[in-house]
Amino acid sequence: MTCREALSLLPLFFDGELESRQMRAVVMHSTRCTPCETELRQLERLQEVVSESVNARVDEVDLSNFWPSIEQRLGSVDLPWGQRLRTWWSDGEHRWMAPLPAFAAAAIIAAVALMFFLNPKSITDPEAVRVTSVDNAAIIDSLDTDVDSVAVLSEPETRTTVLWVSDDTVTGDTP
Amino acid sequence: MNVMGPVMLTTWVAFSGMLGTGWAQESPGNLTSPVINTVEVRIGAVLASNSGIEFDSRLASLHRQFNILFPYSSYRLVKEERQQVPWGGKAGFDIPGGRYVLVVPREFKNERISMKVMVIEGARPIVDTVLSLRNHATFLIGGPRQADGVLILSIGADTLH
Repeated sequence: MTCREALSLLPLFFDGELESRQMRAVVMHSTRCTPCETELRQLERLQEVVSESVNARVDEVDLSNFWPSIEQRLGSVDLPWGQRLRTWWSDGEHRWMAPLPAFAAAAIIAAVALMFFLNPKSITDPEAVRVTSVDNAAIIDSLDTDVDSVAVLSEPETRTTVLWVSDDTVTGDTP
Repeated sequence: MNVMGPVMLTTWVAFSGMLGTGWAQESPGNLTSPVINTVEVRIGAVLASNSGIEFDSRLASLHRQFNILFPYSSYRLVKEERQQVPWGGKAGFDIPGGRYVLVVPREFKNERISMKVMVIEGARPIVDTVLSLRNHATFLIGGPRQADGVLILSIGADTLH
């Protein structure tokens, strides 16, 4: 490596941006070449001066309120419920509640099943139960009409009474 | 920590709450002999036709009756109404086709509700009847023409304590 090549690489060497092969070559050359070694020492000194200057300025900055202001902002962050739940769960004190939802679900299912056996009306459609379980047969005491005819149908399966009015002018056919 | 304690407590609360509610609903009817002051008359007007295939979901409770009794493919609930009246009071309902239904509950005797029912079209009564029904029962009046089908009325009554 020539001095020219070494001098062009010295700033990169100092910044640690050289590949290992180039770095080794620069080091070997500097140890044997006094001008390049001098240049290297000057760069070292420049870095020390810059570093001292920056540190001196940083020390002058008042950082006493830095963390409290960060803390204040952290306090106002509105975490999503999922994250809050994970945080709450990860503290380990609530692990004993893990089987609770399963037990509660089992209890509810068992209670509903028990209610079904004790009181089936409460589970099914109350209107449907009413109509199908009640005796819907009507006892007709009197019947008058102004149309041609009225048919009284009594359906035994559903225990339902039907009055079917039939009039050519205003009514339909008997089913 | 004793894990089973809270679990058992939750289970017990779920059971007792749900069963307690069910029993509470059952109790009054079993323990008291109520005085019936009011009757709730309910009416539904159904348009039955063969134009299309439809069964109004609100008529689920009458599905079986309609399938057995009538030859139509479409049933649509066009009006549903309830009125509470005292014994001897008049419950009047406007139904499609300019018709009017009048129901007068008369008395509760032998576990049956006696009532007068009139279906009036224009100035003439197409049905004028006195009948008795079991409490919570429903009977049907059908036949009046309406649009491209017929009207079927479901009429029922429930005593109120």
